[in-house]
Amino acid sequence: MPGHRTKGFCASAAALALCAVLAGCGGSGESVGGGKVVLRYTWWGNPDRAERTEQAVALFEKQHPDIDVTTSFSGYDAYKQKLATQAAGGDAPDVMQLDYRQIDQYASGGVLLDLGRQKSVLRTSEIDPGLLATGRVDDVQYAIPQGRGTETVAYDVQTWKKSGVPLPGASWTWSQWADTMRALAKKTGKPGATDPGQSEDAFEVWLRGQGKSLYTEDGGLGFTADDLTRWWTFTDRLRREGAVSPAEQTTQLDGSVENTPLGRGKSVTDANWDAPASGFLALVPTGVALAPMPTGEDGTPGQYFKPSMFLGVSANTGHPEEAAQLVDFLINDRQAAKILGATRGIPVNETVRDELGPQLKDFDKTIADYQASLEGKLKDPPQAPPSGDNALQSTFQRDYDQVSYERMSPREAAENYVTEAKAELRS
Amino acid sequence: MTTTAIPAEAQHAPAPAAKRRPRREREGAAWVFLSPWVLGAIVLTLLPMAVSLYLSFTDYDLFNPPQWVGLRNYTQMFTEDPRYWRSVVTTLTYVVIAVPLQLALALVVALALKGMKRGKAFYRSAFYAPSLLGASMSIALVWRAIFNDGGTVDHLFGTGGWVNKPGLALLAVALLTVWQFGAPMVIFLAGLQQIPAELYEAAAVDGAGKWRQFLSVTVPMLSPVLFFNLVLQTIQAFQVFTPAFAVSAGKGGPADSTLVYTMYLYDRGFVASHMGYASAMAWVLLVVIGVVTAVLFRTSRSWVFYASEGDR
Repeated sequence: MPGHRTKGFCASAAALALCAVLAGCGGSGESVGGGKVVLRYTWWGNPDRAERTEQAVALFEKQHPDIDVTTSFSGYDAYKQKLATQAAGGDAPDVMQLDYRQIDQYASGGVLLDLGRQKSVLRTSEIDPGLLATGRVDDVQYAIPQGRGTETVAYDVQTWKKSGVPLPGASWTWSQWADTMRALAKKTGKPGATDPGQSEDAFEVWLRGQGKSLYTEDGGLGFTADDLTRWWTFTDRLRREGAVSPAEQTTQLDGSVENTPLGRGKSVTDANWDAPASGFLALVPTGVALAPMPTGEDGTPGQYFKPSMFLGVSANTGHPEEAAQLVDFLINDRQAAKILGATRGIPVNETVRDELGPQLKDFDKTIADYQASLEGKLKDPPQAPPSGDNALQSTFQRDYDQVSYERMSPREAAENYVTEAKAELRS
Repeated sequence: MTTTAIPAEAQHAPAPAAKRRPRREREGAAWVFLSPWVLGAIVLTLLPMAVSLYLSFTDYDLFNPPQWVGLRNYTQMFTEDPRYWRSVVTTLTYVVIAVPLQLALALVVALALKGMKRGKAFYRSAFYAPSLLGASMSIALVWRAIFNDGGTVDHLFGTGGWVNKPGLALLAVALLTVWQFGAPMVIFLAGLQQIPAELYEAAAVDGAGKWRQFLSVTVPMLSPVLFFNLVLQTIQAFQVFTPAFAVSAGKGGPADSTLVYTMYLYDRGFVASHMGYASAMAWVLLVVIGVVTAVLFRTSRSWVFYASEGDR
C-alpha cells in the first residue's frame, strides 16, 4: 500500500481538506452585509422592552448608516441557555445583555472584551463609580451596568381596592404581608400572591431581613438547612391556606411576567423585579402599582438596589469599535434614553437620569417614584454571586416543587437543597 | 460464504500486477464515493464520542479548560445525587408505559389494515402521518396546549391540565410517543403479509377460531418482527427527549415528574454548565441500553420463533 497513493486517495484527501475549509468559513465576527458592518445584539425581556429596544436600535442605525444591527430576544431562562451555548462555541453575539450572575463566569472564561480599551468611543464618566465597578472583574471593565433595579410587590390595583383590604403602606413585615395575603384571598376568592417559596430572590430578601445572606464572602453557602426549612414551612403553610398560589400555578413560572399567576389573572400580587413589572400593564390593563418587599420582623429591609443588567461585547467580535459605539449609544445617548425609559431600570448615566427624571411618564414614572421612596433606606448589595448560583436558581425552584406538590416535607427538601448547593459551589 | 471465498483468493494470488491496478483504482473510487459518509462518521460521531468519553472524567463548564477529576462524576452520580435516581425511575416508568402501549396499538392497527380490501394505502399513510409530524417541536407544543390548563383535555374531562399534575404529566408525554406508532405499524404490516395464508386455512380446517388463529399462528409467526420492534422502540424510549422537553416547557416538571434521563442530562450540561457530568451520564446511558438490549436478546431465545428453524 505505501507508495501507492492513487488518484482516489488524493481525491478523498482533497475532499477532506475542502470540508475543513468550508466548515472554517462558518466562523463568527466577519459578518459583513452589503458593505455594511453587521452587529448582532441580543437581550432578554418582555415585548414592551423589545419594542422600545427596536426603536432605539433603529435610531442608532440612522445615526450610523454604515452599521446594521440584527437583534433577537427571548425570555430569561431560554436566553441564559442559548447564550451559554453560543459563548462556549465561540459564537457569542457582538453585543449581549448580561445578568449580574453571569459576569464572573463570562469574564473569566474569556468571552468578554476588555471595554477599557474602547474608551475613545465608550464614555463612562457619567456613571456612578460604585455602580460601574460592578461590571469589573479582576480590575478589568468587562461590562457596563445598564440600570439599577430592586424587587417589588406588584399588585392589581383594581382588584385590591375592590376587596376592601387596606392598600400596602411604605413598609410591612413578612408576618404583616402574610396576614394581608390571607385577607386578600378571603375577600377576592383568589390567592393573594405567587407562592414566594419557589424564588431564590424572595428567599434572599427574607434572609437579609434577618441579617443573614445567601452566600458568604468567600462564595460558600450563607445559610443552613434550618433557615431554609423555616422559610419553606412558612410558605408551605400559606399555600395550604390558599393565601398564595397553588402548585399547579407556581410550577408554570419561567421568568416571564406572562406566566406568573398575576399575569394570568390568578392572583392579586406578584413579587418581581421592578423593571420587568412594566410587563404586567399589558396583562392587567386596569392598573398595576408597586409596593416594597416585606422586611424582617424588626423592620430590617432585605431588598437592595442591584445593577439590573449589563451590556458586554464579545471578545471574538470582528468590530470592537462599532460594538462599543452601540453600547455607548444605549447607555449615554439622550434620545436613546428617552425611548428606552426605565425598561431596563432607571438609567445609570447621571446626567441623563437627572434630565430624564421629570420627563418619565406612565410606568417608568411609577418605577422611578418607587425607587425614590426606597432611597437611603436599603442596605448595601451583596457582592456578585458565585458562578454556581446560576444553576442553583433553578435547583431552588425545583426542590420547592417537591414541597408544593407535597412529595417532600420542607425539612427534607431543604436538606436536599443544601447538599446540592454545597456540591455545586465546591466545583 | 466459505465456499465462495476460497476460490476468490485462489484466483487472486497468481494474478499479474497489471490486473491488480484497476482493482486498486476501483477501491480508490469507492473511497471517494464513501468519503462523505466516512467523514461524517469520523467527524460527527466517532470524534465527539471520544471527546465525550474524555470529558466524562473531567470538570468542564464550557468556559474554562476541562479539569481532570477521575471518576468523581461517576461516584457523585451514584452516591450523591438524589435527582439523578429520580430521573432513572422516571425513565424506567416511561419505558414501561410507552413501549407496550405503542406496540399494542401498532399491532392492532396493522391487523385491521391487513384485513382491509380497499383504501389500505390511504389508511396506512394516514396512520403513519403522526410519526412524520411527531418528531417536530411544533406538534409537541400543540400537545402541551391540548393537555394544559384550559386545553382540550381539560374541557372534555374537567380534570384541569395534565401537564401541571405530577401524576399525569408523564402519561401525557407517553401518549405523544404512543400516538407515533407509524414505524412499528408498517413493520408489523409487512410481517403479517409474510405469513403464508395456508397456515390460516389449515388452522381453520382444524376448527380454530379467530382468536385461536391469532394466538397460534399470527403471534408465533410474527414473533421475530415483534422482537425487532420491541428492541428498537425500547432503545428509542430510553433516549426520549423532545416530547418530555416540549410538554414540560423545558423544565422536566412538575416536581421532576417528566425529568427523564436525557432531560436531566441536558439540564446538567446546558443549564448548569457541567459538561463533564453530563458526558458521564451519557456514557452510563449507553452502557445501560447495551445491557437492556443484551437481556432482551437473551430472553428472545425462549419466545421468538424463526420459521426456518422450525424443524429443529
